[in-house]
Formats: sequence, C-alpha cells, structure tokens
Amino acid sequence: MKLLRAWLFVIPVLVLSVTGAISHHAFSPVYDEKRLITVVGVVTQFRFVNPHAMMFMDVTDDSSKVVKWTVEFAGRLNLSNVGWTADSIKSGERVTVTGNPTHTGSDRMFFRKLVRADGTELLPAGPQRLNAIEEERRQRALQRDQRK
Amino acid sequence: MAVRNIVKWRSGLLVLILLTCITVPAEAQSSRRNLEGMWSDPPPTAVGAFCAFACTDAGIDRLNALLDDPANDARPFEQLQAEAKTYEREYIRARLTPAALKTYPLDPADDPGFLRCEPWGLARQMFAPHQIEIRQRGNDRIELRYGEWDARRTIYMDDRKRPANPGPNRMGHSAGRWDGETLVVETSGIAANIAVWTDLNGTAEHSDQLRVTERYTRSKDGDTLLLTATMADPWSLREPVVMKKIWRWAPDQKITPYKDCERPTEFKRGVKR
Repeated sequence: MKLLRAWLFVIPVLVLSVTGAISHHAFSPVYDEKRLITVVGVVTQFRFVNPHAMMFMDVTDDSSKVVKWTVEFAGRLNLSNVGWTADSIKSGERVTVTGNPTHTGSDRMFFRKLVRADGTELLPAGPQRLNAIEEERRQRALQRDQRK
Repeated sequence: MAVRNIVKWRSGLLVLILLTCITVPAEAQSSRRNLEGMWSDPPPTAVGAFCAFACTDAGIDRLNALLDDPANDARPFEQLQAEAKTYEREYIRARLTPAALKTYPLDPADDPGFLRCEPWGLARQMFAPHQIEIRQRGNDRIELRYGEWDARRTIYMDDRKRPANPGPNRMGHSAGRWDGETLVVETSGIAANIAVWTDLNGTAEHSDQLRVTERYTRSKDGDTLLLTATMADPWSLREPVVMKKIWRWAPDQKITPYKDCERPTEFKRGVKR
C-alpha cells in the first residue's frame, strides 16, 4: 500500500470543553488545551470503549517514516449520546484528525474533529451543544432588548 | 330486601367514587415520585452545560449575570462558563477549612482515578457525568447505577439502622425516604476521599465525617431530574455546602461496559486552567 504523505501543523487556540469531554479524569495533566494539531493518516484500529474510546493510526512523516499515532476520545458513554457507534470509524480509512497535543509532544492527541476522505466530518458532543446554547443566548438577548 | 341491597350497592359505589377521587391525585403524585429509568447528560442549555458535573446556586447566579450583561454578548459561551466556574471555585474556597485549603484545588495529575484507575467515592460519583439508572428493588431498596465507572449503590428505604460496625467505605451507607415527591437520601460512613466541587479542576479532600443529604426531584414535565445535595464535613467545610446537578430523561440510552481504563503513561503536574 502506498503510504500517505502526512502533514502536521500546530495552531495556538483556546479550546475549552462545554460538557467535560474527559469524564473520569481531568484533561489538563496530559493534553495542552491551548493548542490544536492536525495529522493525516490511515486508521489501523478504533476501539469504542469506556472510559475513553481510542483510535490508532499510521501517519507518514516528512521523511517517509511511518509513525504510530494514538488519538484519545471521550468515552463511549459520551460519544453514544451524539450517535457514534463502533463503526463510526473503520480500519483502513484515510482520515484527517485535529486535536489537542500532549504536553510532551508525543505522537498522541485528544480528539476534536475528524474529516474522512469524502469530506464528511465527525465531531464530539461539544459543538452540537454549543450551537444550542448560542441559540439560547440569541433568544435571551432578543427578550432583553424587547424589555427595554 | 331488594331496596336494602340497592342502598348497600349505592353506598359501596359512593365509597368507590370517593376513593377514586382521593386516589387520582395520589397517582399523579406517584408518577412524579417515580424516578425509575435512565437519565443522562443535562439539556443543552447554558445552565445545563454549567451543571454538567456539579454546580452551586452562587455559580448559576454568576453565569446568569454574565449572560444577561449585553457587554458579554460577543464573548464565547466557554469564556463566560469558565469565568463563572472560577467564581464558583472561589465561593467554595471561602467555605473550606484550613485543613482542606492546604491542597485545594487538588492537582488533577494526583487524582487516584487518573493515576491508578481507582473508582470514585460517593462525593464524586453522585455528580458523575452521563448516565444514572434508577431502579426500585422490592419495597425496601432503590438501586442507582452510574455510567461513569459502572458504579452501583443501594439506598435502603425501610428505616433499617446502619449495619453494625461496617467501617467507612467508598459509597457509605444510604437510607432513603420520600418527602412528598422528593426522594431524600441520607448517607454517612463514607471513607475519606476526594469531593468534586464545580468540576474535576475543583476538587478537595474530605474526611470520613462527611454526611450527605441528597434530594432528587423530577420536573413537572417529567423530562429532567434535579439533585440538590447538602454536604457537611467538619474536617473540610466551615459550613454545609449545597451542590446541584441536572440530568435529562434518556430512556433509549444504555450503560456500556467500563473495563478499559488504562493508567497514564505520560502527564504533567501543576497545569493550571
């Protein structure tokens, strides 16, 4: 199989969880919530388990070396709430994954977004909840303005 | 004789009608008394998100004040939530004893749940995110099962005394009763452990003197479950603190196996949020 050319970049950004993406322990000891990184690679395994779902992937770096990456997700309990199943990610799929890097810069990240080869996206629960909350805020502001 | 029978029959009917009139409100009450079934993450509202773990009225008031201020309309919700949580952590700080303040807030990197996959004690488990399943077992027990850690606890509803010399344990001994439509649970005998105040970045140690009074109430529309928990621990708290939590009715959800916890291979201490 032809190895995929991988790319990786780092974006400084403030990312705060809305529902506590990590449940059974805090996020901060392992991952840097102020940065995002993106990698492209081929999924070798997706484990839909508790307390955290895990994905393993082969990423080819700039020197054509295959690097084994680990992507940690929220738990199955959390992902199931937004419709994920064990088949949401399949082995052999080419995916682009964005997430928070570790403090140590190891080949591991905490999941924020996945884009499949056909352009479809997988997102955690946070963004969906945020949309609903932002709509609530708009309604709240509207009612406040009407009271004036 | 026939007339007497009719009178008796009519009297019986009248009694039946009266009983029916009395039992209708009782049934309506029991439907709200019935907390049985699966509950899960709170509704996708600002307060729901804020109380996804645990919250206080002081924190909710702060969040609402921030949301009501037009100067904050352009700020992301996460920022306002984080600001209200910081305020809430300080609200808790003012109520902690010097003994608990020595380590408050605990470094999340030192959490035994993180380091050793050690299941939580009651003071964290009862606020755990995601599912809580409530089941009546016979007339004398209610069982609670939580998605997080697949933890289980029993609430005894038959006024039994605490077991003799059980020693403090992770979940303590819980005795329950109904106060109108509210399930009230008194728990003591809880081993010293970690209490979650606000979220996993706002935890503190508690002692085995901790006593918890939980009040579970179902909303009028039946869709949400509210927990109000009064925490009293003379070792860690200057005064009792009232915490809240919300779940949403989720009959289609299931609790799935919780057996793949892995100890961390890399982490950093002292990271502040």
